[in-house]
Amino acid sequence: MRSDDTTGQAAAILAALGGVDNIDEIEPCTTRLRSLVRDAGQVDVGALRAAGAYGVMINGRVVQVVVGPHVDLIASDLDDLM
Amino acid sequence: MEQVDDDTGEVPAVGASEDGAPSAHKYLAVRDHLARLVAHELKVGDAIPSERTLKQEFGVSRMTIRQAVDALVTEGVLVREQGRGTFVAPQRMDFEMRLTTFGEEMRRRGLEPTTTVLAAQTVEATPDIATALEIDPGDEVHFLYRVRSADGTPVAIERAWMPVALVPELLADGAPTSVYDRLRELGAAPEWGEETLAADLATDVEASLLGLSAAPAVMRAERRTYAAQGAVMFSRGCYRGDRYSVWVPLRAPRPALVPRRRGDAVTEEDSTERAPVGAGGGRA
Repeated sequence: MRSDDTTGQAAAILAALGGVDNIDEIEPCTTRLRSLVRDAGQVDVGALRAAGAYGVMINGRVVQVVVGPHVDLIASDLDDLM
Repeated sequence: MEQVDDDTGEVPAVGASEDGAPSAHKYLAVRDHLARLVAHELKVGDAIPSERTLKQEFGVSRMTIRQAVDALVTEGVLVREQGRGTFVAPQRMDFEMRLTTFGEEMRRRGLEPTTTVLAAQTVEATPDIATALEIDPGDEVHFLYRVRSADGTPVAIERAWMPVALVPELLADGAPTSVYDRLRELGAAPEWGEETLAADLATDVEASLLGLSAAPAVMRAERRTYAAQGAVMFSRGCYRGDRYSVWVPLRAPRPALVPRRRGDAVTEEDSTERAPVGAGGGRA
């Protein structure tokens, strides 16, 4: 739950979503990151799971990644990475 | 990412708190500041900065400070202790969704909880249960089927599945009075979860278990509960529509994160890719 633990996780999640260039926006919800990606084909579900996601829902260009309650920390790290 | 335009130290909030609206931004700024302190600097049980300190730092009224603190108390991030001050709450897990058990919720309402166990056995996971628990179909799961009553009146039916691999001993002493308590004993303490609610009509079996004659309205709740080890319980609850309401704290969504580069320089990449992709169904 500490910040340095989530930095690597945030980087892995971002990469699995296809990298910064594939992101239109990411909205942090209570236990999920709700991302609007440019190309859902670039999203690597296996890599998201490997990065610690508890679930991944893809609907069109919307990719929801269930990460649990430390979503705020991951979001802060993502903000730094983006 | 958006900044409140005024420089905090200087601007006195005289009048702003009087009619409420103008202080909304300031209240959010204070709230976010405190939330950040809790997330990154303070530990559980630490006191937050005094009202006086915050007043000076943000140049806002005491009412605005209180509003910000109240919001975090409601979210469960902070706790107030009378006469002592305001502190970082023990855990962040139960803000927004309360990860409590039937027994805990009933006692909090002054009702006596009782349970009738219809089944407590170890079975093979069906595909939907396996998906919910992130295991393979056919893997063993503990299954618990219970009717829950409040002051003797049946109000809910609950079926729950727990992976044997994570908690082999769950049913060793029979059906536990509280699954969450038992999970804590077994080192798989529930930490967070997600729940989906839906309105429905009870089936005949459910209506009879709940002691109701006609097919009554019920609320169905599907919950996944997580411990540090992963998904530790999946449950399907069926609650009497006439006895239940759901209380959900709401907070404004956090601003979406947008790649910085794109914000600064909208470039060739943007204009070429937007049009074709956008057709797929973009922002709501």
